[in-house]
Amino acid sequence: MALRATLWALCLIAMAVFTAWQLRGGHTGIDADILSLIGQENAAPNAQQSDIATVRHLLANDGQQAIFMLSHSDRDALETAATDFTGRIAALDGTQGITLPGHNNDRFADLMALYGPHANSLLSPADREKLANGKAETLYRRALQNLYSPATTLSSQSLKQDPFALLPAFLSDLGTKLGTGNDIITHGGQFYLPVMASLSPDLRSSGNDQRWVSAANAALQSITDATPGLSTAKTGQIFFAVAEATRAQSDVQRIAIIATIGILVMIGLVFYSALPLLGALLVVGSGLLAGLAAVVAIFPAIHAIALVFGATMIGISVDYALHYLVLPSNAGSPVDRLRKIRPGLSLGLLTSVIGFGALSLSPTQLLSQIAVYSVAGLVAAYCSVLFLLPLIPARDVRPSSPIRKLHDGLQVALGKTFAPIRVRLIASGAIIITLALAAFLIPGNNDIRQFGHGNDSLISDAGKIADILGLGGSPVFIRIDGTDPQTRLETGEAIRDALAPLIMDNRLGGMIGLSDLIPSIARQTENRDLVTNGLYDRFGAALSDQLPVRITAPDKDADYLVPDDNTARTLPEITRLHSGGSDIIRLRNATDIDAIRNALTDIQNVTLINPSTAISNQFAAYRLWAWIALGGALCVAAILAVLRYGLQTGICVFAAPAGAILFAVLGGYAFDIAQSFFTTMALFLVFAIGADYVLFLAESRNETHDDDTRLAVLLSLISSVLAFGLLATSSVPLVRDIGSVIAIGLIGAWFLAFWMTAPTKHEQTQNQRGQE
Amino acid sequence: MTPIRRLIASVATAALLAAGMAGTARADDIPSPATIGTEQYLGGSFTMDRHLDGFDKPLTSNGDFVLSPARGLVWRTLAPFPGTTILDDHGITRIDDQGNRDELARGDQFRQFVELISAVLAGNWQPLEQRFDIAKDTTEQGAWQVILTPKDGSTIQNQISKITATGTDFVENVRLEKPTGDHDAITLSDQSLQSLPLPPEFAALLTGTGQ
Repeated sequence: MALRATLWALCLIAMAVFTAWQLRGGHTGIDADILSLIGQENAAPNAQQSDIATVRHLLANDGQQAIFMLSHSDRDALETAATDFTGRIAALDGTQGITLPGHNNDRFADLMALYGPHANSLLSPADREKLANGKAETLYRRALQNLYSPATTLSSQSLKQDPFALLPAFLSDLGTKLGTGNDIITHGGQFYLPVMASLSPDLRSSGNDQRWVSAANAALQSITDATPGLSTAKTGQIFFAVAEATRAQSDVQRIAIIATIGILVMIGLVFYSALPLLGALLVVGSGLLAGLAAVVAIFPAIHAIALVFGATMIGISVDYALHYLVLPSNAGSPVDRLRKIRPGLSLGLLTSVIGFGALSLSPTQLLSQIAVYSVAGLVAAYCSVLFLLPLIPARDVRPSSPIRKLHDGLQVALGKTFAPIRVRLIASGAIIITLALAAFLIPGNNDIRQFGHGNDSLISDAGKIADILGLGGSPVFIRIDGTDPQTRLETGEAIRDALAPLIMDNRLGGMIGLSDLIPSIARQTENRDLVTNGLYDRFGAALSDQLPVRITAPDKDADYLVPDDNTARTLPEITRLHSGGSDIIRLRNATDIDAIRNALTDIQNVTLINPSTAISNQFAAYRLWAWIALGGALCVAAILAVLRYGLQTGICVFAAPAGAILFAVLGGYAFDIAQSFFTTMALFLVFAIGADYVLFLAESRNETHDDDTRLAVLLSLISSVLAFGLLATSSVPLVRDIGSVIAIGLIGAWFLAFWMTAPTKHEQTQNQRGQE
Repeated sequence: MTPIRRLIASVATAALLAAGMAGTARADDIPSPATIGTEQYLGGSFTMDRHLDGFDKPLTSNGDFVLSPARGLVWRTLAPFPGTTILDDHGITRIDDQGNRDELARGDQFRQFVELISAVLAGNWQPLEQRFDIAKDTTEQGAWQVILTPKDGSTIQNQISKITATGTDFVENVRLEKPTGDHDAITLSDQSLQSLPLPPEFAALLTGTGQ
């Protein structure tokens, strides 16, 4: 016994060291970003990028930006405050760059170096239309005027590359397409100045996001204090994420403290001793440690959500500990006592492992991580019961314990509800059928927006900034698929042509795609022909007469502007317009989605994607997988129960956790709790704990420790409901929903475990005869 | 990507500010420049020689201009090709001889341009000191000279390397040097202060009714 305990303790220590080394050494990352939760499926190679993968990529890009909007009635005061603020934000660890209106002119040289050699291939839509409609003379006159205008970008270099001054028009149009954000805006007598901060890609995953947000808020407060009349607003994923995380963290901490105190009080009131508490902590702690070690060993990065779900195993593993601890000291040696509970414990473990193992079959990494964490943790908790608990001196449940008295009272009350086996079988059938119907009929609600608490101030700020910058409307975007980049660019140009009428009548605020920055080769060839035929052939000689240089027609065989690494260096915007093997068109202020969809109908390889819908669909797919896995686990549990207990009793035993799930589903529905992926995951816990309850009771039925087991199940229920029931008081809907569903389900699990395993009249008679 | 529009504005601002402000550069031994009141405007003629690096001959143009602190500036080229450039609260607009308008830049940021010019003409150097190092001197002919050099780190450095302006009562010569090696030499003449209202053809352009 001591040897096995020593070996197991060494294993736990090794796991602790390994886990600490992995995490502290940065060998395994903990990802707290909600975006990491989605789109990490094992897609087939060369397969078209999924909607959710595209959304994830774009949101990750957008998430690296924070926007501050400063406003004041006095422009000079505003600019002074903005300069001060920009310096503070730029100095923060985690800020990669800052964009201020009027402070990015240094890009001009780079832009001219990139576009200048291709000036004759790049036409603004207006110039292109003029050339196509035979109005080239207008452009010629503009070129002449440009030579002598005081407001011009003309230089010796530009004159050689672009004598007809086509490039300024192209770039000016491009600026319009890119939208506002680089200008000071006047609105309602106020000046608005946007400050865009680009953030380090690892700011959020490294856990430094909270510090950055605090420092940014302090900087905002500082300039507000120093500048009377200044008002500020801010937006960006980082602010929402930190606000949500802070609130959730605060809730969970409060709940954890109350729950821990509650469980301490409960165990104290049962045993009047701290030793059983030590035993429970050992079992639960070893489960948490082993689960963490397993995921750290297998996955390069683990998600916080997987850790949270894995950690809720506490509700299961504490069952194992209590199952042993309630056995009286006079029930024999530690080995004897273990022998009494071992079958129930083993079956409980087997059922839970099957349940969580089924999750690992899903294609999602998140569910795989939860499965690995749970299975490893439960096996370790089981081992700790077998190897460590016997070393802890036994403490008996005190007869005077108020919980013992509560237990006795409940037994009397429950005894009055017991029904004959036939009724239980009918009830089991009803449970199974109703559960199947509920799974199909109760609608899921996977809207991502319902999971968070929301922050009124941030939402208000985001609305204000969107209004000022003209970024309102639906956040839809367009993805262009295809293996050939040039084909995608041509498709992008076709989309612009199709959507141009919607922009004209303000049903779409604007759009920007890769083909706006880099026209397709086909378009560039057309432009060269238009420029050559319309301008150089007709007006080249005339313009030459005005210039000290000879103008020659463009070389039709010259290189084309193409999206390559050089282009990407000069135009970092490209990364926001490309994802995987697809091009992206971003839309601004899209108010008529149906019109956009209709306009795209005839264009191939184009998908209109709404990010929130794509994310919700992804969670719906996760939820489906969770239900399939749960169904599979229930089927296996049913077979095991029948094999172990025979057909009739086996069905009743199986029906208890199934009924607990049904209880949780119907209870959630009745209390208007959204049936989401997360609440479905909560059903796994209900199943696993419910299976423990009924198996413990079924295995101890007609045994001398039957009453002890019943008490253990009650204690487990109290501790679990205390923990999960308190979660139901959280202000974060996601946490609240999970807690509510589990608490409701566990009450059902407790009742059904007793009801389904209650001795039949025949058994009661036999027991009475045996006692006589 | 708006840099092109902002660049145009910057160049125009720098060139025309120089023309406006130099007239007010004052040193103790320089006669006081004529001050343009809010109810006045300055009118005159110009000749601009645009020297492009590597080209032998400059591009020469001439025309007339009107500057109103309250309304903006109209730069009207008469030869070799007629054309008008307008800078006002609405932005920068070019109009060709056919009446076709080309809005080079639009937005509130150009309001600052007019405000700056007005401040300069009122003898208030402060707005320019934020962007330029200012050196004042007198020429052998007794005219004053102001040399403006963009401050280190100023974004205008990318477009302007130095502005030299000379004059007596008003600015008479402006030399605008660019980092590319190109430079514009502007000569202003026949300048006079008049009371508002502006001549109808200019007034129409500045209020945008001429479109």
